[in-house]
Amino acid sequence: MVSASHVPVSGDTGSDVPEFGFSPEVILYPENIEEISRVLGFASQKGIRVFPFAGGTKLFLGNPVGAVGAALSLKRLGRVLFHEPSDMVSTVECGMEVREFQNAVGRENQLFPVDPPGLNSGATVGGLLSTNLCGPMSTRYGTCRELILGVRAVRADGEIINLGGKVVKNVAGYDIPKLMAGSLGTLCVLVEATFRLYPRQPFSRTLVLGFDSHVSCSRAARAILAADVVPTCFEILDERLSLEFAAAPGAKRSVLLKFDSFEEAVIEQIKQVREITSGDSVSFIEMGDQDSRELWDSAREFPLPSGASFSSKLTLPVTASIEIFSDIESNPALSGVTVRCLSRPARGVALISVSGGGEEAVRAAHSLENLADSLGGRIMFSGVRDELRERIKAWGDFGEALFLMKNIKRRFDPGNILPGEKIFDAD
Amino acid sequence: MDSQAVKRTDRWKSRIASELVGILGAGAVISAEDELIAYESDGLTGYRVTPLFVVLPSSAEEVSLVVKLCNREKIPFVPRGAGTGLSGGALPSREGIVISLSRMNRILDVDIPNRVVVVEPGVVNISVTDAVSAEGFYYAPDPSSQIVCTIGGNVAENSGGVHCLKYGVTTNHVLGVEMVLPDGAVVTLGGPTPESLGYDLLSLVVGSEGLLGIVTKVFLRIIKKPQMVKTLFASFERIEDAGASVSAIISSGVIPAGMEIMDNLSINAVETTVGAGYPRDAGAILLVELDGPGAEVSAQVPAVTGILRENGAIEIKLAADESERQLFWKGRKSAFAAMGKISPGYYVQDGVIPRSSLARVLGEIGELGRRYGLRVANVFHAGDGNLHPLVLYDPEVEGESEKAEELSGEILRVCVDVGGSITGEHGVGFDKKRFLPLMFSEQEIDTMNLVRCAFDEEGLCNPGKVFPTPRTCVEPGMQKRGSETAPAKEMGELF
Repeated sequence: MVSASHVPVSGDTGSDVPEFGFSPEVILYPENIEEISRVLGFASQKGIRVFPFAGGTKLFLGNPVGAVGAALSLKRLGRVLFHEPSDMVSTVECGMEVREFQNAVGRENQLFPVDPPGLNSGATVGGLLSTNLCGPMSTRYGTCRELILGVRAVRADGEIINLGGKVVKNVAGYDIPKLMAGSLGTLCVLVEATFRLYPRQPFSRTLVLGFDSHVSCSRAARAILAADVVPTCFEILDERLSLEFAAAPGAKRSVLLKFDSFEEAVIEQIKQVREITSGDSVSFIEMGDQDSRELWDSAREFPLPSGASFSSKLTLPVTASIEIFSDIESNPALSGVTVRCLSRPARGVALISVSGGGEEAVRAAHSLENLADSLGGRIMFSGVRDELRERIKAWGDFGEALFLMKNIKRRFDPGNILPGEKIFDAD
Repeated sequence: MDSQAVKRTDRWKSRIASELVGILGAGAVISAEDELIAYESDGLTGYRVTPLFVVLPSSAEEVSLVVKLCNREKIPFVPRGAGTGLSGGALPSREGIVISLSRMNRILDVDIPNRVVVVEPGVVNISVTDAVSAEGFYYAPDPSSQIVCTIGGNVAENSGGVHCLKYGVTTNHVLGVEMVLPDGAVVTLGGPTPESLGYDLLSLVVGSEGLLGIVTKVFLRIIKKPQMVKTLFASFERIEDAGASVSAIISSGVIPAGMEIMDNLSINAVETTVGAGYPRDAGAILLVELDGPGAEVSAQVPAVTGILRENGAIEIKLAADESERQLFWKGRKSAFAAMGKISPGYYVQDGVIPRSSLARVLGEIGELGRRYGLRVANVFHAGDGNLHPLVLYDPEVEGESEKAEELSGEILRVCVDVGGSITGEHGVGFDKKRFLPLMFSEQEIDTMNLVRCAFDEEGLCNPGKVFPTPRTCVEPGMQKRGSETAPAKEMGELF
């Protein structure tokens, strides 16, 4: 099946084996897609459950996984297979680290514009696609969903499939590559992915605006959204994060903005932001790439690393993601815990971490779930402390989509070889 | 056009007609043969099927009731928007019902602060922009039929347009849908939020060509109008140089809103009909539209002009004002219609290639034209490699339309050979389903069928489209877990 060197003996799995939260009987390290196909073909025949992983930096996402026979590492599949600079398209194996991939295409002055948490600590392309996690740059470039053009994957029954393509415009058949984005490895084992790339921009500047009230920050944020500016990154921080990120210590709120373009265009956009927010902001700092690196690292990694009771991601309408700060402050159910909140308004996303008390944390989680629901959004919890996991499930309500999602899972993997409980509670 | 359609009795038809009238009212059910003719085909008029009935529901509830009736009676049904599709996606099923969404044409909500417009599927594409234009916003996907095509059809086909290089296609602008599933249930996927959680079902529905259900409400993302728009026109002696300019512009870090190329035959067709001022002796012209913040566009114009010059542009013009900009575009937008003036018949193809293959593919298309003895005009969205070769023929000449169709098919083979796609925006529909195996293996098409079966186990929703051969859900490509069992560590022992 796969050569002996691909199956380290028990206790000798190397330092790169993550904490799965379960104990696989065996960890497999295939080095090509055919080997993965054979593993899954065998597993589906024998009823052995297989857990695919690569960097292992996002295992905290989704529900805990039950008994698994084999963990399947993609670490040996880490090459760029195709990169045609003039097409701005590249195919990469899913075990490659995102940072390495970015460096590879960066040599042609091109950009794979996704900056997920864990970028500098081993996040892989496969993990990125499976989780559809993103970072501050999603304001301009979206998530993996917007960038994925094609996948080469192995179905749970071992069949190798190529879906999508290598061109930026393609409507032949269902868009299954996008279905894979965020599916947490529950449908197929993703082995290769083809992405659209972007050109690197020649000039970059970061702005940090401080505000002394929520009202003034909200007004400025709305004005920025309505202005003729195109920020690459646009985040709002609460008071605590403004201090902890050393963004605008003492400010009630801060807004982080990054612009990338020709120098004159960046300068003009900064000028415009300054003008439209001058009546509201109490501080204004402009930074170059080097000076702002630590700040963006903090924003990208939030809410990780975390000693929090749990973290959550709320998907909201745009304005609700601006007003979420006052919703949190006025919510009595959140008064007994420490809350940190970062909002990405152009994406309608709020990232919230909650620290403190067991019972209070549970109450806070349920309150946030209700809040997301009342605002027309959804919620996902992650990094939930072990003792709270029974009471804080990873996913909020999927609504009417749930039964269709289950239908998809059942069709792709009727034997639940790839642990579906990451997403679906046991029936 | 499914050949195995059940033949129904007149009595049965009469009963179904009564039931439909009971659901929708007499004015919303079409059964007279002379009125059904208008629904026999979509924009691809080469295929025609007369449906049993056409119904014109006014609400999701009515759509749901009709679909439930279809399920009970096993009647295939085909959703239809404005009927402008070019792949036969709205071709009726024999002995089936066409569900036209044309009466569901209301804009339900305009929410500028949240950048969302909620519409019914029968709303015409351009109406969305019209509804938000005064507020400084617009709806980005702009297929060339945007003054007549509807949002429901755009969702079905994942429509593009000339500006999708920078702003993406329909899937990038649909935040959510309400839809009637093939069993009649009404569900909402996504909503007014830019992001969703869980499986991305919405991306399956957009571009599903009406096979997964009938969309009855759409949440659309609107975007701010750019502060500045500048359009450059360049003419070239050789079309290859126009193609090289396109790659060089993007490589330089500039992503124009759109880049369009027309070859000499197209230029002359346009000049003969609308007189856009294109030079008749040019091998090709390239239109480059730049938009965004004023300072950015102002910096891009000289950069792009320099690239055009370096790549051999003979003449470069920057539209001085909006009327000159419109004139530049007038020729491009009239290109398809212009072909009708210089040829009694033409066949529009829609294929995609990597930009880097442009010169090779154009050469091969030229060679194919010579081999078949037919003229082929090339008009394309150059930035994203989306070709629209127009194969000219005379339907009065025996066998020529067949030759044109065959040549069009050969062009698709060339597109796939260089790593491209058989369709960039027109869809597979009925017309191109035979070409799907050029791109995908049986296992891959089976995998697509898994998606279809998750939504439509009975296969009643727009049957006979996309899939090259009929596929059922009774014999899925996937096997259930094997009955044998073994401890996982045996995997290691076997290695």
